[in-house]
Amino acid sequence: MRRHPALLTILPLAVLFGALIMMVPAAVPAAETPRRGGVLLAAIAADAPSLDPHQEQTFATIELVAPLYSTLIQIDPLQYPKIIGDVATEWKIAPDGLTYTFKIRPGVRFHDGSPLTAMDVKATYDKIVFPPDGVRSIRKNAYTAVTAIEAPDPSTVVFKLKFPSASLLGNLASPWNVIYPKKYLDKDPNYFKTNVVGSGPFKFKNYTRGSTFEGERNPDYFIKDRPYLDGYKFYVSPETSMRAAALRSGRAWIEFRTMPAAEVAAIRKQLGDKIVVQDTAATGLFGIALNQTVKPFNDVRVRKALTLAFDRYTASRVLYPIASLRDVGGLMRPGTEWAMPEAELQKLPGFGRGMEKNRAEAKRLLAEAGYPNGFKVVLKNRNVRIPYIDFGVFAIQEWRTIGVEVEHRPLETAAWFADGRDTGNFELIVSGTFNYMDDPDLFLERYTTGDSNNWGRFSDPRIDDLFARQTRALDPAERKRLVNEIDRIVLENAYYIAGLWWARSVVHWAKVKNYVAPPNHYSNQKLQDVWLSED
Amino acid sequence: MRTYIAKRLLLIIPTLLGAAVLVFLIMRVIPGDVALLIFGGDQAGQIDPQQLAAMRHRLGLDQPLIVQFWSWLWGVLRFDFGTSLWTGRPVVEELLIRLPLSLELTLAATVISVLIAIPFGMLAAVRQDSWVDYVIRVVSIGGLAIPSFWVGILCILFLVIFFGWGPPLEFTPPWVSPWANFQQMVWPIVTVGYRYAAVTTRMTRSTVLEVLREDYIRTAWAKGLAQRAIVIRHALKNSMLPVITLIGTEFAFLIGGLVVTETVFTLNGVGRFVVDAVAHRDYPVVQALVFLIAFCFVIVNLLVDLTYAWFDPRIRYR
Amino acid sequence: MATNYPLAQTTASAALAPQLTAGEEVVKFIRTKPLGAAGALIILLMLFLATFANVLAPYDPYQGDYGVQFARPSAEHWFGTDEFGRDLLSRIMYGARIALFVGFTASFSGCTLGGLLGVISAYWGGRIDLLLERLMDILLAFPQLILALAIASILGPAVQNVVIAISIPIIPRAARVVRATALSVRENVYVEAIQALGASKPRIVLQHIIPNVMAPYLIMLTAQLGGAILAEAALSFLGLGTAEPTPSWGLMLSGSASLYAEKAPWIALFPGVAISLGVFGFNLFGDSLRDALDPKLRKG
Repeated sequence: MRRHPALLTILPLAVLFGALIMMVPAAVPAAETPRRGGVLLAAIAADAPSLDPHQEQTFATIELVAPLYSTLIQIDPLQYPKIIGDVATEWKIAPDGLTYTFKIRPGVRFHDGSPLTAMDVKATYDKIVFPPDGVRSIRKNAYTAVTAIEAPDPSTVVFKLKFPSASLLGNLASPWNVIYPKKYLDKDPNYFKTNVVGSGPFKFKNYTRGSTFEGERNPDYFIKDRPYLDGYKFYVSPETSMRAAALRSGRAWIEFRTMPAAEVAAIRKQLGDKIVVQDTAATGLFGIALNQTVKPFNDVRVRKALTLAFDRYTASRVLYPIASLRDVGGLMRPGTEWAMPEAELQKLPGFGRGMEKNRAEAKRLLAEAGYPNGFKVVLKNRNVRIPYIDFGVFAIQEWRTIGVEVEHRPLETAAWFADGRDTGNFELIVSGTFNYMDDPDLFLERYTTGDSNNWGRFSDPRIDDLFARQTRALDPAERKRLVNEIDRIVLENAYYIAGLWWARSVVHWAKVKNYVAPPNHYSNQKLQDVWLSED
Repeated sequence: MRTYIAKRLLLIIPTLLGAAVLVFLIMRVIPGDVALLIFGGDQAGQIDPQQLAAMRHRLGLDQPLIVQFWSWLWGVLRFDFGTSLWTGRPVVEELLIRLPLSLELTLAATVISVLIAIPFGMLAAVRQDSWVDYVIRVVSIGGLAIPSFWVGILCILFLVIFFGWGPPLEFTPPWVSPWANFQQMVWPIVTVGYRYAAVTTRMTRSTVLEVLREDYIRTAWAKGLAQRAIVIRHALKNSMLPVITLIGTEFAFLIGGLVVTETVFTLNGVGRFVVDAVAHRDYPVVQALVFLIAFCFVIVNLLVDLTYAWFDPRIRYR
Repeated sequence: MATNYPLAQTTASAALAPQLTAGEEVVKFIRTKPLGAAGALIILLMLFLATFANVLAPYDPYQGDYGVQFARPSAEHWFGTDEFGRDLLSRIMYGARIALFVGFTASFSGCTLGGLLGVISAYWGGRIDLLLERLMDILLAFPQLILALAIASILGPAVQNVVIAISIPIIPRAARVVRATALSVRENVYVEAIQALGASKPRIVLQHIIPNVMAPYLIMLTAQLGGAILAEAALSFLGLGTAEPTPSWGLMLSGSASLYAEKAPWIALFPGVAISLGVFGFNLFGDSLRDALDPKLRKG
């Protein structure tokens, strides 16, 4: 088995920052033998629009159904971001990086009893990479290098590429790409929006929309003795305070998303060592997009002034306890192999310490741009308290100090998309980027010209070129150099105001064992290794 | 009387149609549509304009408004409320999941508030301007003044912080497990019921006061019957009409007004469903719900007016 | 609507009550309606705080002090501080401005517009009446929240838009009450007589109908004031009202209140008390005013 060199280097590096603050009970201590049985109770923050992860983008969908399905390969549940097999036992990448060959595990069965073969994997990926008319595929862009998916025999799947793709293996480990049985897809590509036929450690049991979702143990799961749990029952509970109440009263034993530090402290105080809190960094960046098709944000001096006046280090101190926004960093998560070196980052506008100096510089730039007394501007935002509104309130206060008067306009999610972000009908807008892994393709494509997520609507040919080169760069050192260069150009020109990286505090009862919180709430939701020490 | 009923029934049609047109237009004017939301997800999805257009086409969002409206109305006439754009399930099915909870909440709050409100309202009226009256009035005005969402939060937090007790997270119908049902529903019912009881108590008090001043009551009084007998026999009977009206209209309002309570207590009921549906730009669901809420409102009002006309022949059939 | 049965009976005779000077009226009001006087006191206090918020408030309600997040009530911060270190007392004082502004403008515009429609409906009758009545029915049957959602989405979450959202549902209620009174006035013998003498319609409306519907109009106005303040709080709580960092009482309760209830209970406590007390004051006063203005309820 030959793995991609890039991925081998991710592993040791990923530990860096996260490990310092993580209090993860690493894997299973030798003394504890996993116990069979019990139903895991969890509180989920939203209800799923549909049950088809290929077509959805929300944790609400993936958290409900991930335990019911298998993927081709996966991110190791115990060691993010290591990639391990799931239904594929091994894989080969041709030296030119243009052919990926996967061997499928024999004897895997779907919950309806039919075997899972290479044909099902091909059908699944055909749907994702080349969706037929009338079928949406949300993550199609990640597979632009793929020209064909072939299944020469029932246990072999081959991906053919038109150019080498450094991120492909990571993208094939996506938790969203669950494998569906071909015969149902042939009948109706949208079948899985409302039905479940998977091959995962759990079988679908019951779903009451807006309320509960239940799965039960799959006795025929392809890994012997797994899962440990008899089942799981998730409760949909949109209010953060109600989820906290559920945890505190033992109505739910885990909340997969995050709890604000202030609430975590209260829960700790009440439940003591009955509770475990896993603090991890998160693969999510919050910031503010500036619409560069309108004045004054087409002027780099104005953009720079705004980013200079945003005190990220104070923001971290203020916003972490209330909104889980914690780490100061550029466009790639600090502590990962892709992040810019700290010393270099500090030289960029707004990332240097010493706010007095930064603010003075900001005022000077504003005066130079023709706004000696500041200006008035509307900041659109998403009407979600944590962390959007809190982040917006902080930014508004910061900009008051340089005379920029901001009117805050929180919008419902739909309007935030349609009357802001996606139509360019805004001046400033709070927006974030969230992905299931620290992958440069996933995080940086949005800064290229014309990308649908380039909310600032700017164009810099240097970035376009660097992006295209890094996505094909198989040498990790070379790729890192290119990625850092994109990071530097975006931040230097203040094309986007990178604010803070999110952090997670996953709170669960101590009796929930062997769940290792990864830096996002999309991966490691399969629950096959999780067990309960008591009911 | 018969023509009166016929006329009133006929007048329902323009009201319902008007409400339907209004909600249809409002939903179309609000920026954002469900297709964009599905692609956008809870964070930043890649939105491919071509796929977006295809989706809008599949959901029928690209048709002219008038066509969309007629096809919806035609469906409603055949009791077909369409399918949810967000979940792809029939609207009626989605509604039936949520209706029992909201109905239980509304009915229980109504019953409890009536049981409290009528005796206390009468007591306050009979003892007007005594300390009993003042206490009852202050408590009932308090019920109108204290925000129910605030009381709701405080109730839950108090129990969680001091007793480590939280309400169950899923709705269990009372016929399955009365105890589980009670645990979940008791606080919402109390918060809603308090406000409701407050309104009803005040109405009872003022109508009883009014009746007490009618000449015939004074006559009965002069004849030397015991005060209690007068009140019960005459005042109660004659002051109940406006109270019944109020109970009816409040009931109709409640069905549409449970949003805050259901949000605070995270109950999977109709009120929260409306809010979610609006947030998702799920047009068929919002249209169906507003139509049904308006329908309930109109019917309850009609029943109230008919009762009125029945009991009080002085009402002119205009 | 039949709900307003007792009000509908208010007649022109209100104008025939014995005349007292303003001062005497006030003294009489306090003596006979102690609860109403208490309500008036609360309202006056609110008005005072709102008017002089910029003088009285010890801190800038918008600017947080990151050194004192979640500070408990103390000599420096009487009501403590919130999650951004903003002084709660100052925010509540400025919040009174918003509550009063929304309360007064929403109930005034709603009642006035509704009242005018009610008079038109009653006096012109016929088709206009039928049409207006249906319109009012539609507005009544339409869930207020969806209206508010729509307005917040289209016009943005600003105070003046909240006023629109709250005043619209008041219109049909006011229209009903005023229409009923106006109808009874119109059928009053003396109005019929004046009409027979050839007075013009606008003149009758201005000189006879409007003065006579003033009592129910005022009752409606005060009755809706408290409700409007509460509605603003509820809308802001749901995120459909005013936007952060506006110091609206309802907004202060949303999010932070429930999350930090244990760490900093004062964040949930004081704004909630402010809302309750304010609405309580208006309701007490409104109730007593109704008793005083409604001749049917006068003692004796």
